[in-house]
Amino acid sequence: MTGSALVSLLTLWMLPFFSAIVIWALGPQLRRAAGVLGSAAVLLSFVLACALFGVATAPGGLHVTPLIGWAPGFTFGLLLDPLSLVWVLIITGVGGLIHLYSIGYMAADKAVARFFAYLNFFVFAMLTLVLSDNLVGLLVGWGLVGVASYFLIGFWFYKPSAVAAALKAFVINVFGDVGLMYAIFVLYGATGSIAYADVFAKAASLPSGVILTACIALFIAAAAKSAQVPLQTWLPDAMEGPTPVSALIHAATMVTAGVYLIARFAPLWNASPQAQELVGTIGAVTALLAAILGTAQWDIKRILAYSTMSQIGYMIMGVGVGAYEAGVLHFFTHAFFKAQLFLGAGLVIHALHEEQDIRKMGGLRRRTPFAFVAMAIGTLAIIGVPGFSGFYSKDAVIYGTLEHGHPLLYAAAVVTAGITAYYMFRMLFVAFGGHYRGEVPEARLGMAQREPSEPVHAREGHVPDWVMQIPVGVLIVGSIGAGYLAIGGAQSPWWRFLSSLYGGAQATAPAPISELLSSLIVLAIVIAGVAVAYYRYGTRSATASAVERLRGEALRMPAVLTNAFYFDAAIELLFVRPARRLGALFAGFVDPAVIDAGVRDVVWLTGAAGYLFRALQTGLVRGYALTIVASAACFVAWFVLTGAAR
Amino acid sequence: MTGFDASPYAALSAVMFFIGVGGVILRRNPLIMLMSIELMFNAANLALVAFSRAWVNNAGHVFVFLVVTVAAAEAAIALAIVVALFRRSTNVDVDEVARLRG
Repeated sequence: MTGSALVSLLTLWMLPFFSAIVIWALGPQLRRAAGVLGSAAVLLSFVLACALFGVATAPGGLHVTPLIGWAPGFTFGLLLDPLSLVWVLIITGVGGLIHLYSIGYMAADKAVARFFAYLNFFVFAMLTLVLSDNLVGLLVGWGLVGVASYFLIGFWFYKPSAVAAALKAFVINVFGDVGLMYAIFVLYGATGSIAYADVFAKAASLPSGVILTACIALFIAAAAKSAQVPLQTWLPDAMEGPTPVSALIHAATMVTAGVYLIARFAPLWNASPQAQELVGTIGAVTALLAAILGTAQWDIKRILAYSTMSQIGYMIMGVGVGAYEAGVLHFFTHAFFKAQLFLGAGLVIHALHEEQDIRKMGGLRRRTPFAFVAMAIGTLAIIGVPGFSGFYSKDAVIYGTLEHGHPLLYAAAVVTAGITAYYMFRMLFVAFGGHYRGEVPEARLGMAQREPSEPVHAREGHVPDWVMQIPVGVLIVGSIGAGYLAIGGAQSPWWRFLSSLYGGAQATAPAPISELLSSLIVLAIVIAGVAVAYYRYGTRSATASAVERLRGEALRMPAVLTNAFYFDAAIELLFVRPARRLGALFAGFVDPAVIDAGVRDVVWLTGAAGYLFRALQTGLVRGYALTIVASAACFVAWFVLTGAAR
Repeated sequence: MTGFDASPYAALSAVMFFIGVGGVILRRNPLIMLMSIELMFNAANLALVAFSRAWVNNAGHVFVFLVVTVAAAEAAIALAIVVALFRRSTNVDVDEVARLRG
């Protein structure tokens, strides 16, 4: 390890933090400069991360330890190996692009400095999460990204729905934090260390029960952060935040922290087949359920939110069954095309003055052609059309489930791919095809009557379009090209890049069908999904009668879908309501009858004692003197009688 | 042993001490009470130096200085209290000054 590498690593880690503090402190004075400063800090971090590529891929990576010593056995260091490098590059690279985009998107917002301070703080927290070389540092980063997410979801704090969504996200994330903390206790208790290196070195010799417990606790954390069933309900609500936030935190980076967690703790998962089974199953269930829910959404950001959840389900499935390279690859490609989809949606929302309902869109391919191109390419990438990045990563994950002997997960993954194609093209056809429906009254589209609301952005400060278009353009390049790294399977640059971490992991079962056949099956299903979407929304007769059709679909939407499979209701019933009851019990009984009553009893006791003893306070000085003399006389008598004076 | 007989000094000290005690308990004038307290201090001092001489131990002498110092401090505070009392009311009977009765 060279000194300059150490300095670069520290700088790239702390730069967003200091930038956040500067923006926070100078705040209103900065105005437009806040965005430039914040973007520059993150992009500089990206440059430094690129410069460290060679050091990080060297054997052992770049390991700085101990950087800070907390207590004997508790030292904090930084670890930059290929796995954390992937995340660092995405966090700072895609994150930097989203920062740039935000300069345009948030230009009219009064609190733009606060926005960039939060965004920089998030980048710092996320870097802490992935760069930590130990469990406690991981937990710190884990908690900080949760806080940053809370700040940013509730960024428009004057909207009650945003505040509620922020709170929900935070509470569920803290539930996950508790899981992570419990895993740390278990692992520290079993190995006596919090450093990854020590824990993994002893992983093979731990009793399987301990590993399973730790894995399940870790997975609770991963599921809460990555919106996996049954802790997924916060993610769709988190779309209340500004669109760049959705792109950065709730699509590209933070929600993939669970994938990182499982990929990082691969030695533990490899030692526990039951835990792998659990994770793979949950991932598949999430991918499938979220895709089904994606077909029933009208809000363009909620469609993307469910698709994010579904794609993270793929990643979790991949890393869960042991196909780590494939899962991490899907994270890598997904970051590009999902950020691009969100930023494209942001362009649309921006152009339509905060309209997010696709029923009120239509015909946008002519109104916002650039956004249409971005959304179309993102859609082709996410559904896995050959030549686009999603094809390579998604196929690797889907085939990985088969290679590791999980035919059921394979089936779920293939079906999900078809549904994904359907709902993404549904969005594309409804929003961009046909004719513009913005002037059609809500009732005719089957929408609930809306309160005329204050526009969030006053349309004053105008920023040239290219500020928002250039980042999207760069992301388009990424979402087409990112998958080419993985052409050639196990001999591809991607597999060799991660081989130092997962080189030993081999396929456990010979796959019954070849990868080519698998790709063809997936492709056929995808084409079928697109065809259904085209038949329902894309044909000439469908676009001609779009208003009536959309209204009919909205009115006939099954309740199970509009209620998102009743997860919210179940959580309300099982946790929120009992918690409220418990609160009412404490407020109605425990507080007044136990705590207050106890305090009152102490007060009464003190008063009674005072009433008794105040008789001694006569105020007669000579009486006191007599008491002193009498007491002294008693002492003297006692000394004389017992002979203690001798 | 030096052959020094401390008993007359001890007897005088005891007499002075009980005169002081009687003065504090029986008199009502705060000034007289203060003087009685001083008397008790000095009785104690007398006993200290007498036994110190008898047992050839200088600790008693040293302790007398401490007592004198404390007595001076005590007198300053006590006289201040008496002056304050006298300002509030011209009454100098300590039994009448019983406002701190609980």
